[in-house]
Parts: sequence; structure tokens; C-alpha cells
Amino acid sequence: MTEFTLEVAERHWLSEETFEIRFVRPPGFDYLPGQKVGFVDGAARRDYTMLGPVAAGHLSFCVRLVPGGRFSPKLAAARRGDRFAVTAPFGFFTFAPSPRQAVWVATGTGIAPFVAFVRAGVRGFDLLHGVRSPRGLYYREELARAGRRYRPCISGPLPDDYDGPSPFGGRVGDGLRAGWPPGDYDFYLCGRGEMIRDLLAIIDSRYEGAHVHTERFY
Amino acid sequence: MKIYTQTGDRGKTGLLSGERVAKDNARIQAYGDVDELNAVIGALAASLGTEDDRLREQLEAIQSDLMHAGAWLAATPESASRAQLHPVTDAHCRALEAAIDHLQNQLPELRSFVLPGGHPRAAWAHLARTVCRRAERWVVHLMQQPQSGGPAADDLGTIIAYINRLSDYFFVLARHLNHQAGTGDRLWRP
Repeated sequence: MTEFTLEVAERHWLSEETFEIRFVRPPGFDYLPGQKVGFVDGAARRDYTMLGPVAAGHLSFCVRLVPGGRFSPKLAAARRGDRFAVTAPFGFFTFAPSPRQAVWVATGTGIAPFVAFVRAGVRGFDLLHGVRSPRGLYYREELARAGRRYRPCISGPLPDDYDGPSPFGGRVGDGLRAGWPPGDYDFYLCGRGEMIRDLLAIIDSRYEGAHVHTERFY
Repeated sequence: MKIYTQTGDRGKTGLLSGERVAKDNARIQAYGDVDELNAVIGALAASLGTEDDRLREQLEAIQSDLMHAGAWLAATPESASRAQLHPVTDAHCRALEAAIDHLQNQLPELRSFVLPGGHPRAAWAHLARTVCRRAERWVVHLMQQPQSGGPAADDLGTIIAYINRLSDYFFVLARHLNHQAGTGDRLWRP
């Protein structure tokens, strides 16, 4: 169900394949950090999570360009003033404070809801961001400043000029095992279904009593 | 997106509030039965003719209520998740009571037990009634278990009242559908 029309304000590229697109926030568009909207085109729909505002009156999304995809090429080519139909905000992947240590795990643009949490004022979390190369560590400085621990997990080769935080190699499951001993955690997982499946297997066997919140991003 | 996530292959699943629990946990049993009830109502609605649009709308409204009830049961008490949900309220119970009264006023008085069945639509309504009772038993069980996936006893009184009333609704609806089809009540003759 289409309920809002978003008008493009600006767009900038974060890497060769990923960009942030900003829209004018329409009146009555209320949402909780971590919620998403569906971009609608006929019977097709693609969901994107709001990043959280960097400026009043705007909405931002982090989008990976999928060549031949239904929506991302249109968003990548959009100009200021172009309009897109979206659903009302929805979703349950929102942050709930608890006595347990929050551990956030994202892969790729699955970082979006965590950026929204941080821009809503959440602090003290641990974050593990899985990417293929350091170029995919979007919002790194903003997230690292707000978190208790920020650890990249880089599956590809590390460039010689990499100067970021000490990364884990391999997949995020390997990073989780290496960096977080058994304990009482609230896990928030956002990314591909395969990543969530693999991490739930690890969490069920290694972190008894953990709470887990998941968002399959694509 | 693939429908199968493989995340439940080890016998555990996640509650809306984040806890990982065994799939035979009382909370899963309760909202699983509510889900089953919803499916049976869907089958009943699908069996209705075009002349029954009003009843179909009523059944769809009940299905929506049950989606909310299921979500509520899938989150533990005191969890932040519940703040985003729509609880079943007394108003939902009152709406069911009005629907029951409306149907019952059109039916002859009953002085015997009836056998479930008759017209296929009535048979679906009887099946909905019995799944309703099973869901009710699990929700009552859940409410009596302080440690059933949550930190404290769960106040599920309104959901229990709603499901209890819903069972009565399906009983009179089954009778209504049998009378509408000319089948009448199938009285039990012991």
C-alpha cells in the first residue's frame, strides 16, 4: 500500500557501488529508528531502512547499486525533484535497551538500521561490520565514535594503505567467535539471509540465553 | 527472497522480543494454535459464496484481530516490542458478542447437543471452534507459567476472553450456516 511520495533532495556516492540518497521528509512521515519503507513500482516492492536524519526535514537511505535491479538503478539515476512512491514506515527491528551488552552485526548496507540507532542517540554498543573490502565500511567514523567496540570483518585482501581499526578476516561468524566470548548479549543482526542463518547457529550453540533480533536485508 | 531461512532447523525459534526458545515452548504452542485457527477461518471464508460478502468481511476482521493476538503472544511481557503492538481489547470482545447475538436471534432454541458437521461450511466453523478451544488452553497454560519465556507472569486475560468468545461465535455460526443451507442442526441422539 502506497502512502507517501518522497521527493529526491540529493544523492552522493559512498563507494563505486553504493550511494546515499536523501529525500525531503513529507508531513506526517513518522517512524522509529530501524524501521523501513517499501519503494513501490507497480506490483514490485523493495524495502530500504531509513538511515536516520542528518538534517531536519530529510530522510536518507543507503543503497547498493544492483546492475539490472528493479529499483537501485532508478534511485542511482534519480535527480533532485524526482518522486518515488513508498509505503508507510514499518518493521520491528528497533533498538530496546537492556542490561545485556548489545552486539550489532551487519554485512554490507545492512549497516543502515545501526546508523539510525546511533543517530537516535544509542551508545555503548559493540559492532561487527562484515564487508568484502575496506571501501564498504560506510559511516565508519560515526559508528566507531559512538560504540564501545567497533570491529570490521573484511573478507577480501587488505590494501597496504589500510589505516582503520584492526579487522577480523573471513566471515562475520569467525569474527564473532574470535571477538566475543560466551556471555549475556542482545544480538542485532542485519544482512543477508545466509549470514543470519549462520550466526543463529553460532548463537544457539555458544551464547545460551542471548536475545536475538534479526532483519534480513536482501 | 527465499521463504526458507533454515534458521529453525535445530528446533529453536526466535520470539518477537528476541528470546531464542525451543519450538515446543508454551508461547510458541499458543501463537501456533492461533495461527492454525486463522488458517481454518481462511478455509471457511474461502468456502463462502458471493452472497456471503458481509460474513466474509466479518471473518477477515477476526483474522486481523488474531494476527494482532499472535504478535502479542510472540513477545514476552515487559519487552519493548509490545509497545509497537496492538493489544486485543474489550472492544474486540464486545464486537464478537454483538455478532453472536445477531446470529443467535435468528436461530431456534437448542435443547440438545449437536454433532459437528452438516454443510461443509458449517463443518469448517465447527473445526474453527475446536482449534479455538485448543488455542485457549495453551494461552491459559502460558499465563500460568511465570517463566515461560518472559521475566514475569503474562497478563493475557483479554486474549483469553476474546478466544473464549470466538469459540462461542463459531458455534452459533456453524448453526447459522447449517440453517442457511437447509441442513438444520444435526442433533445428537445418544
